[in-house]
Amino acid sequence: MKKKGDSKAFHSTDFEVHRNWLAITHSLPISKWYIEDTSEWTLDYPPFFAWFEKLLSFFGAMVDPAMVQVDNLEHASTATVYFQRSTVIVSELVLFWALQRMLAVMGNRPLQKLINWSLFLNPGLLMVDNMHFQYNGFLYGILIHSLVDAKQGKLLRSGILFAVLLNFKHIFLYIAPSYFVFLLRAYCFENSENSIRARSWISAFRPTRLIILGLSVVAVFALSLGPFVAMHQIPQLVTRLFPFKRGLTHSYWAANLWALYSFVDRLLILVASKTPLGKLWNLSVDPSALSATTRGLVGDTAFGVLPAVTAQHTLMVTVALMLPSLVVLFRRPTFDRFVGSLTLSAFASFLAGWHVHEKAILLVTVVMSVALANKVGTSPNAGAGAGALARENGQQQMLSQRDVRAFLIVSLAGYVGLWPLFFTRAETPIKVGITVAWFVLVAGGLEQCTPRQANGVGASPSIAAGSRSVLRQLTVLEQMYVVGFVPVQAYVLAVHGWVFGEDRMAFLPLMITSVYCAAGVVYGWLLYSYAFMESGMQADKPKSKKKTR
Amino acid sequence: MDKPSAQARAPSSPLALLTPKETPLLAGPGSGSGGIGSGSGSNSNGKIHIPLARYATWIEDNQLKRYAPWLVILVTGLVRWCVGFGPYSGYATPPRFGDYEAQRHWMELTLHRPVREWYCGNLINPEWYAWKTSRGYESAEAKEFMRISVLVFELVVYTSSVVVFTRRWLVNKAWIRQHTLLLLILLQPGLILIDHGHFQYNAVMLGLTVWAVNCFLADQDVLGSVFFCLALSFKQMALYYSPAVFGYLLGKSLRLGVIGCLWKLIKLGVTVVATLGIMFAPWLQSKDDILQVAQRIFPVFRGLYEDKVANIWCALNVAIKLRDLFDIQTLVRFSTLATLAAFLPSCIALIARPTKRGLIYGLANSSLSFFLLSFQVHEKSILLPALPVTLLIVDEPVVAPWFVSLACFSMYPLLYREGLAMPYLAMVGLWIWLTAGLCTRRVSSTVKWLAVVAHVGLAGLQLAEWVAPTPLPRYPDLYAVLNAVLSAGGFTAYWVYFNWRQIIWLPSARALSSSTTSSGSRRQMLHQQQQVKTKTA
Repeated sequence: MKKKGDSKAFHSTDFEVHRNWLAITHSLPISKWYIEDTSEWTLDYPPFFAWFEKLLSFFGAMVDPAMVQVDNLEHASTATVYFQRSTVIVSELVLFWALQRMLAVMGNRPLQKLINWSLFLNPGLLMVDNMHFQYNGFLYGILIHSLVDAKQGKLLRSGILFAVLLNFKHIFLYIAPSYFVFLLRAYCFENSENSIRARSWISAFRPTRLIILGLSVVAVFALSLGPFVAMHQIPQLVTRLFPFKRGLTHSYWAANLWALYSFVDRLLILVASKTPLGKLWNLSVDPSALSATTRGLVGDTAFGVLPAVTAQHTLMVTVALMLPSLVVLFRRPTFDRFVGSLTLSAFASFLAGWHVHEKAILLVTVVMSVALANKVGTSPNAGAGAGALARENGQQQMLSQRDVRAFLIVSLAGYVGLWPLFFTRAETPIKVGITVAWFVLVAGGLEQCTPRQANGVGASPSIAAGSRSVLRQLTVLEQMYVVGFVPVQAYVLAVHGWVFGEDRMAFLPLMITSVYCAAGVVYGWLLYSYAFMESGMQADKPKSKKKTR
Repeated sequence: MDKPSAQARAPSSPLALLTPKETPLLAGPGSGSGGIGSGSGSNSNGKIHIPLARYATWIEDNQLKRYAPWLVILVTGLVRWCVGFGPYSGYATPPRFGDYEAQRHWMELTLHRPVREWYCGNLINPEWYAWKTSRGYESAEAKEFMRISVLVFELVVYTSSVVVFTRRWLVNKAWIRQHTLLLLILLQPGLILIDHGHFQYNAVMLGLTVWAVNCFLADQDVLGSVFFCLALSFKQMALYYSPAVFGYLLGKSLRLGVIGCLWKLIKLGVTVVATLGIMFAPWLQSKDDILQVAQRIFPVFRGLYEDKVANIWCALNVAIKLRDLFDIQTLVRFSTLATLAAFLPSCIALIARPTKRGLIYGLANSSLSFFLLSFQVHEKSILLPALPVTLLIVDEPVVAPWFVSLACFSMYPLLYREGLAMPYLAMVGLWIWLTAGLCTRRVSSTVKWLAVVAHVGLAGLQLAEWVAPTPLPRYPDLYAVLNAVLSAGGFTAYWVYFNWRQIIWLPSARALSSSTTSSGSRRQMLHQQQQVKTKTA
């Protein structure tokens, strides 16, 4: 609630973006919303968000009329800053409300409380919303509302909420496949305790439900896109919403597969141009790539040695990465699997998508948090023994150490991957401070909630009370990775500027951050996929045995 | 900034704050809960139902105690840094600028001029230093440097002193309680707003004072007086505390018999003279220098009070124009006498019964007396009474947080002028949220309602100012005057309350517990305190 402190930070480009949108939606008719291009920051969110901005702009015009003039670029009076910042804080009440509901539905135990606080005071959200300026807290609030509905079995409402969410920000398309599969399978088919056998599929199918669901979703989209269909602006809208011409990677690389790919390419360029190995391996360097990619400019990405990647390629890779989890979900549409598969879909899109923003990691970590909160943990007061499991609900899965490890690594890597957004020195203590504080508290808290196996990683109950390391639950490799952030970020934040000066080799720290974080994200993804698939296999096994008998 | 701050890490919703229903969470002390038990504050059964206490409990339950100090530094540091994003005193307002420019100029002065000349120019008003080309120098980097310097000095002197204080004050109490007290003291909004928003180095002086108190708590009186003299020579404001320190040390000495008393007084006297002598050595060579320094440090010529300050003179000024009636010399004498009269009762009580608890109350009383009645008081000086009151926050769970809120309120006109309204709102809101739970069920509902009414009233006043800045054109300073009068009234009431608390309540409680001697070992003291609490509970 009291995140105002951050709101004093400098405003970024996104601040001007949203101010411009306030102006567009306030002073122009609907027909001009997606055509207007006085500012380079054109409206590129779906219509519901535009309406949201219009709602805000009414209040904005009261506070400072200059704020809502389209040609008043880079306007940032004190009143405007306070107004815009406070809208973010107020809109995050939606998140607060959603989290309160989640606490009520998932169970009010230490693990759930911890996840709640970890979500509400998430350094990623704090950085992106309150420092950088976006309305993610509000949007993730809607997402969590939808998930809580799904958990409660109100699938129709959940689906409608998600459709609404899609029309607020189309980044949620990343997880739409999981929603689609889940709603189709869980809502449009009659589900008994066991999964349905193939021959009864037709009898289990409920066409009325499909029609209801379909109609409601279509209605939501009609409400949102209808006016633009009527005005024949859909192609224009699509070019605004899906700027495929923007290139494979964002201005600096998000910590995903393409960051690793580009990094390998850069290495190969070095090898090819500086060493005889280039000739030996018959590498040819595309000269146009030498000056392009890593300079921090928005533009088309060119590779020097490796083959170029097109939008179709990324789409194929993304779908390929998503499919296994969707299959698992389709076989048995439980809520557990639903959130797991949502996480993996978000992962797949983040890792392999076209022009992914570094901020998209929030989608992964938020959904993953919900997935963790859905599980049963041990109570911190119950002692270290394995017998003290607070299993209250037989249907829920226990929190596994793999989940926790993946969560910690991915979150840390993802949030550190956001750091380059805040490049002034005054912001550095804040971004480092909130991330470190969050990590220590959440890692320490989760450590107590994770049931310990007898041969678990580093488990030794004889360690004196009050002297546990928060890294204890990680493997040695993971511990090294986490500790490795210290020297790496020390170099990026301080040493580099000191050695090379402010401007020379400016791409190097960005590249180091991206690649190091990408390694963590990919590792966490593998770990989480493994845990998800394994639990899926185990759950499906007894049934298949029954079948064979 | 989230803040990002410790308050909300407590593992429960803020809504559950006022109804302490989650006792199971607090009732089960974790495996690391050391000491005799978490009991015996003066409120109820020793459990504090505030978010910070839950946070501390959570930390202990999760065995994260080894990280706790770093988290405290991190979180309180972050809050301060966020406040520091705001403008500082005199930001971009030539020609006078403000405290930031004053401090910056002092740095420049002390760097470039020989020591003896430091006080020869005008240290107070930078206007006279027109030959300095760098006057009003402002840049982002300079601001960063200045902010960092405040942060570092505060960390080294003040934070460390508070850590030690919580250990010594709540000795043998549960760690949770100590940690809660630590966080509360460090998140006191007044000091944060003035040091990191307005820009001053008060924390150093206050930290040195707390170090002195720490030493007194451990019966290291000589070391304590060294620290106190250092505080005095860092900022002369520490003089506000001197009657209490003097009374405490004198009272303690008097209990040692003739020889012991003389020996102790000689020890203390030599310490004080030596410390101050060393600090002021460069200027002790000529009479002119001494006078010059004295005149600088006590700028009597600047009038009875500055701007609108929430003390009695300014409040009286609404009705009686004292400054027109009397000349400045009379006023100086008069206010000095009044101050003397105000702190004497508390000082005499300390001489008669020099207890450690009494010392803290005495610090509050004497500094409040100075604030209310002495000559040339700044609104920022309320930080001095606020420090001992904050230290007493677990012992005075209702009154102390309220006092701090009022102190911040009294500084609001200053902060508003400097564009610090936003940090003010955030920090005071945070403070009220953090401390609201200190009003437990044992507090009578009248007091609770009074607190609510007072807070709502003051908030309403600020809202009114925001909505209608100048309702009556004849009185442009209406709100500032109202603020000063109300706050002065409040502070006077506090003065009465704390005096009653120190002079009547403390001894009477002790009389019940039938112990006579007051000075002595810490353990004995502790024993007495616990008896006091069992009686009062």
